[in-house]
Amino acid sequence: MTTTAPAPGTVDRPRTLPRRLVGRVAVAAGQLVAVSVIVFALTAALPGDTAEVVLGQQATPEQVAALRAQLGLDRPVLLRFADWVGGVLTGDPGRSLVTGVPVADELAGRLASTASVAGLALLVIVPVALAAGVTAGRRPGSVTDRVITAVATAGQAIPEFASGLVLVAVFAVTLGWLPATAGGGSFTGPAVLVLPVVVLALNQVGRLARQIRIGVVETERAEYVVHLRRLGMGERTLLLRHVLPGALPPTVQQLARVVDGLLGGVVVVEALFALPGVGAGFVEAVQGRDLPLVQGYALLFATTTVVVNLLADLVSDRLAPHREALR
Amino acid sequence: MSEGRPTRRTVLAGALGTGVALGAASLLSGCGSAASDDRLRVAFAGGGSRENLDPHVVLNYVDQARAKACFDTLSCWSEDMGAVPRLAESWEVDPTGTRWRIHLRDARFHDGRPLTPDDVLYTFRRIADPATGATAAKLFTTVDLTASRALGPRDVEVVLTAPNFLFPLAWAAPGAEIVPRGTTSFERPVGTGPFRWVSFSPGGPALYSANPDHWGGAPPSRELEFVPVDEEQGRVGALLSGQVAYAFDLRASSAVSLGTDSRAKVLSAPGSASQFLYLRVDRPPFVDPRLREAVRLGLDRQALVRVVLLGKGQVGNDLFGQGAQYYDTAPPQVTRDVEQATALVAQAGATGSRIELQTSTADPIYQAAAGVIAQQLGEIGLQVVPRTLPPDSYYATIRSQGVSSVSSVGSLPLPDYIGRRMVSSATARNFTGYRDPQIDALSAAAVATPNEADRVASYSRAQELIRASSGMLVWAAADMHVGIAADLGGVEVARPNTDRWARFDRARLG
Repeated sequence: MTTTAPAPGTVDRPRTLPRRLVGRVAVAAGQLVAVSVIVFALTAALPGDTAEVVLGQQATPEQVAALRAQLGLDRPVLLRFADWVGGVLTGDPGRSLVTGVPVADELAGRLASTASVAGLALLVIVPVALAAGVTAGRRPGSVTDRVITAVATAGQAIPEFASGLVLVAVFAVTLGWLPATAGGGSFTGPAVLVLPVVVLALNQVGRLARQIRIGVVETERAEYVVHLRRLGMGERTLLLRHVLPGALPPTVQQLARVVDGLLGGVVVVEALFALPGVGAGFVEAVQGRDLPLVQGYALLFATTTVVVNLLADLVSDRLAPHREALR
Repeated sequence: MSEGRPTRRTVLAGALGTGVALGAASLLSGCGSAASDDRLRVAFAGGGSRENLDPHVVLNYVDQARAKACFDTLSCWSEDMGAVPRLAESWEVDPTGTRWRIHLRDARFHDGRPLTPDDVLYTFRRIADPATGATAAKLFTTVDLTASRALGPRDVEVVLTAPNFLFPLAWAAPGAEIVPRGTTSFERPVGTGPFRWVSFSPGGPALYSANPDHWGGAPPSRELEFVPVDEEQGRVGALLSGQVAYAFDLRASSAVSLGTDSRAKVLSAPGSASQFLYLRVDRPPFVDPRLREAVRLGLDRQALVRVVLLGKGQVGNDLFGQGAQYYDTAPPQVTRDVEQATALVAQAGATGSRIELQTSTADPIYQAAAGVIAQQLGEIGLQVVPRTLPPDSYYATIRSQGVSSVSSVGSLPLPDYIGRRMVSSATARNFTGYRDPQIDALSAAAVATPNEADRVASYSRAQELIRASSGMLVWAAADMHVGIAADLGGVEVARPNTDRWARFDRARLG
């Protein structure tokens, strides 16, 4: 492999933002295609199919075969995948094999619940992580820093299922302050969302706080910050105008990973608290071998991840004023 | 800085604004109508979005409980699995066992229509129709719907193509609820039951209101709500936090811990679920009867009950249906004999053989049972390796693959169990490959005779054959646990599927 030096008199120009955006979108599209192929293949490889699940334990092999033919499950997997791709490309991701409900309607019906929990969790995570990360980062090595870091690590280490059970035991069962379950939509209102939001936030807030702390520590050590402090700039101004902006770009990337984490955590939390969201729907679709629905959920999750990461890249890019100049 | 490009400040402000908007929307979407306090809430594991309210297709316990709230059956199963009247006030059969005359109770559907013989005949027709996919279809295939007729406004004659002196047991089966003639949709179900349908969403809650005109009297609770909570710990939490007053199907460990909590009571119905170890009699290595006998003698059933069920169950004797009518108590209790079992394994040339034992998370008992069984059979020279399979396709998988598996069967009358699961035509639930024409003949003879002694003899012989050759080892009859609020009255200890089980029309709060 050889590299060619720029011709004399020419400039190696960095790719512009629109060009980078086009490139990223192309990569994202490729990722979505890969996800759909992998998920389809894995789901098709699972033992059992929708016909067996729908008909239950008492079904005869003849009944299962009849339903399998009715649902088109006896056709080759590749043919079914091609049909699905064709449907997606024409704006029709199909219908649930189990209920017959359009996939888009099924997803839309469950999205509100998940958006509530994940959105509120983000609203808790961001300010708490910011406060904890900045506090710890400004006094590295102090007792406060060590306590915050230890708590943040512990929060990350405890799985949602475990913290959920403990919180239910304390705040619902023992103290009776909060509901233990949403009962699949039987119980509504803000109180129902408190424990699910806290469980999700507990696991993710530490991740973000630690990144913010690292960013703050590094920025505090930067020469220009040391110099400004030496010149007598007030700590509040220094923090808001110089330290935080310097620490934010990597934090935005971490925030994208937190959103990814929330999507994973929401599957557990929705099962634990019987919330009728996309996480619970995804699990049910997999259990029912409901391929069009599984594909729909997988694409929804993958699209969210890709879009969030793309946005994070763009925002980071914008928040790093010297990036262009450094290239 | 060029005009039109977003600045760092506008990006931050935009992100903040989006977050706040999202949060506000989240809060609003989380708000809903406050739950009424004058409502009996009961928690069950749900059936997901494939649920519907068709009372003839009842795949899960929650389906049965909802059907029971909205509909009635002609008869019900008593605790010993006999038939007791419900919508059928009385009945009589002719000497041939093929003509049943049923006198109906004076009952009305929720829309005011009276219950008539036509409703009964329509129901039987719908259940027997293969297109319905009814749970109890096999029990009604011998009904001659052409010859069956109404004898009066409340009397119906049902004619069978083959004698069946136990036909009233079929009327009580889950999925045999009487529906109004002509019903094809159950989106807004109408029944004769103690509760009227109000609302339902598949996989979500189901709400019913008390039927003040019910023939059994108005239920004490003004409303009944089925709350789907799949996680067992969630049901326990909902019970103890006061969200629900009834939590169905709790683990033995939860039953133990709830037993010391003043806020709740535990109702444990003995002998509710027979626990099986299935051995394929049509595939090596268990095609060899010596190896099956070795496993039978190698199991320590007492230890299984003590460890897996925490003592909350009865030791099994390789027969289904402890406590039920026709259960054969004659065979001596099988006990562990490691020495003989080890010798049989050696005789079969299977010492050190690796045997896969299929298990699943489909039931919390299965994995624990498989672990203990593997350990016990290791002591007789078999290397048993549990393999956990996905829960939703578990029963289909063990029907078609493998050589051994664990499973369970809920409460059923013994004639129903043998007639629907043990006969040669019962392919759907044949997990060991066992088929014996003698069982078919004995089952047919048992239902065809008016003589009770002959029937008992037939069922005893059938059980003897099943016990000896089917490869179905019943190591226990587990209790079924229900947690109820301390102030909930009117709910009795009852096996699932029986008359008194999930009888919420008698439940009273406070």
